[in-house]
Amino acid sequence: MNILMGLFHILVFPGLLFVCIIGLLLAGVDRKVLARMQKRVGPPLIQPFYDFLKLMGKETIVPHAANKTVFLAAPVIGFASLVVTMLFIPVFGYSAFSGSGDLIVILYLLTIPAVALIVGGSASGSPYAGIGISREMVTMMSYEFPLIMVLLAIAKKAGGAKLLFSLTDIVAWQQANGSGIFHVALIPAALALLLIIPAEVGTQPFDVAEAETEICEGPLIEYSGAPLAMFKLNTAMKMFVMTSLFTCLFFGGIDTGIVAVNALILVAICIALTILCMTLIHAVTARLKIEHLFKFYWTFVAGLALCSLILVWIGL
Amino acid sequence: MNYVHFPVLAVMLLFLTAFLIVIFGRLSSVLRNALALIGSAGAFAMIVYLIKPVMIDGEIISYWMGNWEPVAGYAIGIGYEIDQLGLFFALLVVSTILLSCIYSFKYMEKDSSLEFYYVLFLMMSGAVLGLVLTGDVFNMFIMIEIMTFSAVGLTAFRNNRWGAVEAAFKYLIIGTIGSSLILFGIAMLYADCHTLNMAQLSSILSGNINPASLMAFAMMLTGLGIKSFIVPFHAPAADAYTAAPSSISMVFSGMVNKAGVYGIIRLVYIIFRAMDIRQLQYLLAAFGAVTMFIGVTMALAQHDFKRLLAFHSISQIGYVITAVSLGTALGLTGGLFHAMNHTLFKGLLFLCAGAVLKETGTTNLDKLGGLSKKMPKTTICFLIGAFSISGIPPFNGFASKWLIYQAAFSKAVETGNFFFVIITVCAVVVSVMTLASFIKVTQAVFFGQLPEKFENVKEAPFLMRLPMWIMAICCVLSGVFYGFVDKYLVGPAAGAALGVSHYIDTMMGSGYAAAAGVTDIKAAPAQFSYWDPIIWLVLFVIVLAAVCFVMVTGKGDRGRISVSGKAAEDGKYATFFSGEKSLPSHVSGSDLFWGFKKDWKKYFAVIEDLHSGVVNDYALWAVAASALIIVVLFGFVR
Amino acid sequence: MMIVNYVASVLLVVLGLYTIITKKNIIKIVLGTGIVDYGINLFIVSVGFTPGGTAPIFTINEIVSGSHFVDPVPQALTLTSIVIGACVDAMALSLCIKLYKQYKTTNADEIRRLHG
Repeated sequence: MNILMGLFHILVFPGLLFVCIIGLLLAGVDRKVLARMQKRVGPPLIQPFYDFLKLMGKETIVPHAANKTVFLAAPVIGFASLVVTMLFIPVFGYSAFSGSGDLIVILYLLTIPAVALIVGGSASGSPYAGIGISREMVTMMSYEFPLIMVLLAIAKKAGGAKLLFSLTDIVAWQQANGSGIFHVALIPAALALLLIIPAEVGTQPFDVAEAETEICEGPLIEYSGAPLAMFKLNTAMKMFVMTSLFTCLFFGGIDTGIVAVNALILVAICIALTILCMTLIHAVTARLKIEHLFKFYWTFVAGLALCSLILVWIGL
Repeated sequence: MNYVHFPVLAVMLLFLTAFLIVIFGRLSSVLRNALALIGSAGAFAMIVYLIKPVMIDGEIISYWMGNWEPVAGYAIGIGYEIDQLGLFFALLVVSTILLSCIYSFKYMEKDSSLEFYYVLFLMMSGAVLGLVLTGDVFNMFIMIEIMTFSAVGLTAFRNNRWGAVEAAFKYLIIGTIGSSLILFGIAMLYADCHTLNMAQLSSILSGNINPASLMAFAMMLTGLGIKSFIVPFHAPAADAYTAAPSSISMVFSGMVNKAGVYGIIRLVYIIFRAMDIRQLQYLLAAFGAVTMFIGVTMALAQHDFKRLLAFHSISQIGYVITAVSLGTALGLTGGLFHAMNHTLFKGLLFLCAGAVLKETGTTNLDKLGGLSKKMPKTTICFLIGAFSISGIPPFNGFASKWLIYQAAFSKAVETGNFFFVIITVCAVVVSVMTLASFIKVTQAVFFGQLPEKFENVKEAPFLMRLPMWIMAICCVLSGVFYGFVDKYLVGPAAGAALGVSHYIDTMMGSGYAAAAGVTDIKAAPAQFSYWDPIIWLVLFVIVLAAVCFVMVTGKGDRGRISVSGKAAEDGKYATFFSGEKSLPSHVSGSDLFWGFKKDWKKYFAVIEDLHSGVVNDYALWAVAASALIIVVLFGFVR
Repeated sequence: MMIVNYVASVLLVVLGLYTIITKKNIIKIVLGTGIVDYGINLFIVSVGFTPGGTAPIFTINEIVSGSHFVDPVPQALTLTSIVIGACVDAMALSLCIKLYKQYKTTNADEIRRLHG
């Protein structure tokens, strides 16, 4: 029974199936809302599903210069790590593997999809990919610095004088003391995390790594067929994982007690966050240069996060 | 067979085989290699045999040279004492020796006067092994000197190569300053306590540090800092790692700088028991953080494969020093675990660099590229090493870094001190930058475009790949079974550093520690709970399922089309493949992160100026840092 | 009178370090390390000395309560340290010869191919 329950967690909820479907749905919402903001009709809501299925049926071409094993394994590894990340993020009170979710583990698991993209792009041997992976890596260096400060601020706020990195405990703390967003000291951290999400997912204006008009999708340039479908799926899943991490950290106080209702609330919040921090920013900005992106994250966003960390530290 | 003699026999065997090679090594290369293998494998076997009594049963072995036991409570003779901490480092040392020795057989085959290579190699191994097993500070100094000496000789071994002699000279001068400071410190300790035995020193100094012993402490700390190559003593290390043969670079980062780290732990935790002094914690943590940061940023700026690895080696030692400086059981566990992991993954990376150097003849990142087609197995090993050092889960670097972050941040919240938050953030950022510079190497050496002159490059021979595979497998295993490693290796070692009374009693007779008023620190064992083994199963199931999925839908090989040959001629695919040949990358491998570098231009200009390459400057850094340590200790501790 | 020894030994160490830091000739730098060694050796021997002590060589019956002799351990240490110092100097000088052959100079400012 235990194994069956575990398999259910992994494959259906909150694992594989749930995160894939909601992720693709979020991608659809993003495209639709963006189109409406630009006064276009836009694709149907489930267009990402069609795209995914179509790419799955296409031929996979491995370029001559590529290292085949790494080239094909990279998207799969990114995919697996995203599913595992989702297993660690509790859906309000409900977590698949209790007591094991840890902020640092999440931080590192979130880097794996990006690393998979980088290594896969690197293995393809294309010069465009070479530029793309460089930008992806610099993007990662940019947002990792504020991200760790955001996480430490939350850990300190929830833990007080003892070490508290467990996500389950942080959610429990929020249910006792009100959601994180209602604590003044954490508001700058929430803003910083909102700005980190688009860079982590790679949407405009922080999509320097993929910059399709400029370096033709960067690391993805040589990908086709099923591996490309996997990478597109990864991006969609990342949207969901990041927004639900935000929900878990800042809206963790909500709990209706019924898992299905909680899941629906989670999806609703995730859609709202996607529109807020990805679609809206995408619609009103143009792509940044890589050095501007770096500067933006290490000054402005890091400043917000640091501000929050100091506020928490002085006990506000 | 009485295992009490094993530690001394292991050290003696290494020295003995070294001298036998001097005499007989010239006769035949087979005899020479056999002697070297006997020495290193024998030492390995004897030290591994001690795991059972020391690590598992918790016994501490004491051995008085010439049976000269303490008279009337004063130890005059030289004693070896093997506690869990010493054995932990001894295990690192012997495994490094054995693997490096196997690697050397093929790697060094083209060089001449190899008997001297093996002599110096075995002398250095014996010295480091003696250093971690001895219980006498002056004996420790002798071993440090032999180690430095052979290390300098090995650095200059390929003296026809560019820069080897220069690196050796700088290493010798800075190393001599370090040894002199250690000797000065030991002399002052002797003047103060009239003994050289670590156990007795510990019981005398416990709780009553006077100005003389504080001065001795400062000097020995600086000297051991120089031996472990923390910033600002690191510059000659970077040169030496670059110039030495790769099998030796591996030994340098695997055990020579570990010897310095061991010395610092022994000095701070056991001899002086000074880890509760807050200012010392700040000082060491600051040194550690600066070391990590400068090491990794210098690595990002490098154009040479081995020099880049050298700076990483320095940077990772910063992690160990930071973790050790916290003075908590968690920190010490993390630090020791990271020291072990560093031996594994950095050794692996240096061996990969050596394989590339042997097959292509260069380690310049701008000239290499695309080797993954030619050396696929080396590439896999390198990727495992690179992911381990960057702390990607499930590899071992993650387990130890996770512990270090936990330790640093729990220190911060317990003491309420913001300084340790900065340390934590710095450690995480450095970890990302480490990943960045390994992406750079991966792209510049193994992926990217293959230059035409490397079309005939072959995979490294089996004898060179064997140590690489062993280390790669160890990297994965110690990352997955971190609980096992903690229980049998790291945990006992950390416990031995914190609970010193057993150490003193074994050496000086039972009841000695209690009479001197030494009390142990009772520390809760480190909690490893970041995930259950069951989640491993989960990960594998998902990966397996997903791989099957891709293989079924994508059919892997279908449509694999070569650019050259028929397909290129008929022009059908020209639209898709023309880019490969006609467009070389405009970014050379070593300059991958230009966007980042542009933002940090001023910082890089300053930091590269500081590494001027002039030996006087490096000596000035060393002396200035030692002055800083002395001033901080005297100004704030007393 | 011992204070003179201590002051002298510290002065020697400082002078040696000063030589290493300021002199640009690599031979002089090596000499600097030698001077540091001598200072430390002087310090160690002075530590073992007690005024009016005899040589620490006794047969079984000679040693009685109240015998006054200098501490023999530092002398053993000094001997070892002198040997090591000599080895270091020899090695450093041989490296200097190699350096001169490769770089055609003894100026430390020009021996900086490995930098940055």
